[in-house]
Amino acid sequence: MNNLKYFVLSALFVTVGVFAQQDQEKKEPQQGHKNENKFKQLYEEFSTPNMYRAASGAPGSAYYQQQADYKMDLVLDDVNAKLSGFETITYTNNSPDVLNYLWVQLDQNMRARDSKTPLIQGSGVSPVAQIGSYANDYMGEGFDGGFNIEEVKDSNGKALQHMINRTMMRVEMPKPLASGAQFSFSIKWWYNINDHVNGRGRSGYEYFKEDDNRAYVIAQFYPRMAVYNDVEGWQNSQFWGRDEFALPFGDFDVNITVPADHVLDGTGVLTNRKEVYSKTMMKRYEKAMKSFDEPVVIVTQEEVVAAEKTKSTKTKTWKLSAKNVRDFGFATSRRFILDMMAVDINGSIKMAVSMYPKEGNPLWEEWSTKAVASTLKSYSRMTFDYPYHKAISVHAKNQGMEYPMICWNYGRPDAEGNYSDRTKFGMMSVIIHEVGHNFFPMIVNSDERQWTWMDEGLNTFVQYVAEQDFGKWYPDALSSGQSSYPSRRGPAANITRYMGGDQNYIASIMTKGLNTYQFGNNAYGKPGTALNILRETVMGEDLFDYAFREYSKRWMFKHPTPEDFFRTMEDASAVDLDWFWRGWFYTTDYVDIGIKDVKKFYVTTKPNKVGANMAKRYGIDEKDLVYFVEEGSDEYSEGMTSESVSEKSTSLKEYLMDNFSAAERATMEEPKYFYSVIFNKPGGLVMPIIVEYAYADGTSKTETYPAQIWRLNDKEASKAIASAKEIVTITVDPKLETADVDTSNNTWPREVKEGEFDEFKNKVKD
Amino acid sequence: MKIIKSFLLLAIIASLAFVSAHKYYVSITKIEYISEKQSVQIITRVFIDDFEKLLKERYNNSIVLNTNTKEDQIDNYIASYLLSRIIISINGKESEIKFIGKEYDGDVVQCYLEVENIDKISSFKIENKVLFDMFSDQKNIVRLKINDRTKSFILIPENNKGMLNF
Repeated sequence: MNNLKYFVLSALFVTVGVFAQQDQEKKEPQQGHKNENKFKQLYEEFSTPNMYRAASGAPGSAYYQQQADYKMDLVLDDVNAKLSGFETITYTNNSPDVLNYLWVQLDQNMRARDSKTPLIQGSGVSPVAQIGSYANDYMGEGFDGGFNIEEVKDSNGKALQHMINRTMMRVEMPKPLASGAQFSFSIKWWYNINDHVNGRGRSGYEYFKEDDNRAYVIAQFYPRMAVYNDVEGWQNSQFWGRDEFALPFGDFDVNITVPADHVLDGTGVLTNRKEVYSKTMMKRYEKAMKSFDEPVVIVTQEEVVAAEKTKSTKTKTWKLSAKNVRDFGFATSRRFILDMMAVDINGSIKMAVSMYPKEGNPLWEEWSTKAVASTLKSYSRMTFDYPYHKAISVHAKNQGMEYPMICWNYGRPDAEGNYSDRTKFGMMSVIIHEVGHNFFPMIVNSDERQWTWMDEGLNTFVQYVAEQDFGKWYPDALSSGQSSYPSRRGPAANITRYMGGDQNYIASIMTKGLNTYQFGNNAYGKPGTALNILRETVMGEDLFDYAFREYSKRWMFKHPTPEDFFRTMEDASAVDLDWFWRGWFYTTDYVDIGIKDVKKFYVTTKPNKVGANMAKRYGIDEKDLVYFVEEGSDEYSEGMTSESVSEKSTSLKEYLMDNFSAAERATMEEPKYFYSVIFNKPGGLVMPIIVEYAYADGTSKTETYPAQIWRLNDKEASKAIASAKEIVTITVDPKLETADVDTSNNTWPREVKEGEFDEFKNKVKD
Repeated sequence: MKIIKSFLLLAIIASLAFVSAHKYYVSITKIEYISEKQSVQIITRVFIDDFEKLLKERYNNSIVLNTNTKEDQIDNYIASYLLSRIIISINGKESEIKFIGKEYDGDVVQCYLEVENIDKISSFKIENKVLFDMFSDQKNIVRLKINDRTKSFILIPENNKGMLNF
């Protein structure tokens, strides 16, 4: 069987080869060119491996990272919405370099009156303006939310020279900081807290007019050390507002003083729980630590409703201590309902926590904490066991944003408590996404400022896996008629509209987040989907998952770069993926693979012209050959469709008798139908060709030709198919798993498909 | 005052990042002339949350989009809004646009409009002011495919018209 098949295949290939040669002879004299092959190695794009970052994608033998430890005393002035702090930073220089100065990030200065953020937004003069906007745009000074730095001092209380360049502050030390040395200094600061709902921000308060209360979600609120590393030196990219962060790891001891009737939680272990919790809260908390299926409410809605009515003039200080975190955030209000549930991560008990104003109910009490717990399980399976002791989901209107152990999430029912599916799944998805950020970038700590996709893309990919888990584990969360979680991002088909869109407004994934078009699709949707396709279609789950876990473990509590990810995925799987990274991450190419032409052949013992000539030329007996005739060609006759060459050709009979046993011969299937299929590739991306052959008897077979089929010809690829059964339809990418942007060329015979418009119009008519 | 204020701030700092929520105000309108059908086919894609906000403010505060129920009344609002904000002139004459319907696609509402009985096009002009009354940094992208020519416009409040001559 094997030999016969080979013979047939090579015969078909010979004809294709001849045509190709004739084509070339007609061409004009040609220019040379560089290597533009889609499979070209990425040596030019990648940095050279070194002692810090190894060629395997792992941290190198001289890998280092800086450490920044913080002790902070914070005071919230709820009456004036002001936050003030005194912080001591102990900075350890683990680099081999001597540092002449330190850089501290002052992110709140993005909200300063002299901020340049509004200046980089394009704007125009409208023909009309509302009174308020006119006054604010052109007359007022606007809200001042920048830092007031009151002092910067060394550990002896001596003032340190410092210079503020917008959102960055350079601190001069008495003498340069040697490799291995430590330097402690303190900063005293305060700023006006902004309204994050009306002013749109990540940190700030939501104001509740009915009872004159605020719910605070506070982050990027303190002067934070910038990253110094082997790739960037000092991170020197200013904070413009949309971009995120690059932060070193460290230990935090933070005391936060807030009104005594507030409920607070944040990054780290609450070390004085008994001082700040009531006895009732403690009892409920102890119950929650043993409740693995349902959350236990620690501060109830009734208690919150009562608390809203008064304002305590006393204060309480909450003490949080966190080891090995890259940042710190907290949420506090007298309006927070609090519930918790225990989660078992491979024998280690973690707490899933939710804090929400009553406006979040009934959605939040039902799903927030369960979504947190489910996320920790899914992500721990895909990466490493969640190392922190808790994860908190806080309800903040309109925004989703992540910090270590704590995140803010949207999803609010209307005033009557009703909500649409969009609100419900939006809320569940954002919780899964933001809790998932604990893994990327809070623990696998990539530089978000430079590479948005490294945390957002990887996280969007795992989010998809976690959402599907959530739908399986909590089927009650789905709406009627749904059999799985309706993930917005992840499935290949959901990214085609973006990838097939106007190239003027698409940037490659390897673009700094601030400078990219269609941010959501660019940094979240496309990389997330690319990884899902890589897992499910290109590598397979086993190979992908092992490598992805290896990357996560290698860079847990470290600072990876894009190359570290790309290299590890190849290193741990033995799959050369340079072509995949090049196409999907470095270009804006898209997938479009189609069927250009299908020719049907029959085999016969009657010599055709080419065969007869060949036999004569090489002195072969015509009987020692079989001949392929295209259906409908001059040499074709009806009888050929039913001819059996194995019966008619004595030479073939002899060959089979000589080379195969009777038992082998009995199992042989004689091919009757031969097809020459030409696939074409209008899209720039190379991808495997997944083809479904459907037979006349109703059965079908799917074949995957690896992406390397395109290595010598980026435009077309041909395949000869020998089949005992007649093929009636050939479909490329039948399950829509490659993100093919145009599926109208994916079938043979070509289906005439109605355009999107006519399809809808017909549907409405019915 | 409250509304004015929130409108203003929204407009100023709209480019801030919010994970999983889109961060810019944009709609995409695809217009194709199918000469065999004498039809100008228009598909307008608008983010559901932007459109919902508009419909609430303009018509009825209780409007919620995409609730898996019949939305006849909402369709009426959408039709009258779109037809007042999208103005098309073909061969120098303002055309009558028909609202065919809408459907949801992820976080986007996709609206279908049509101009019928157009046997040839020598000039095409479009004004698209969708959501300009809601977001001052709204951008409406228009992509034309007429008589084998393609052309894209980005329309903003200060420049809300695009024109193509043949």
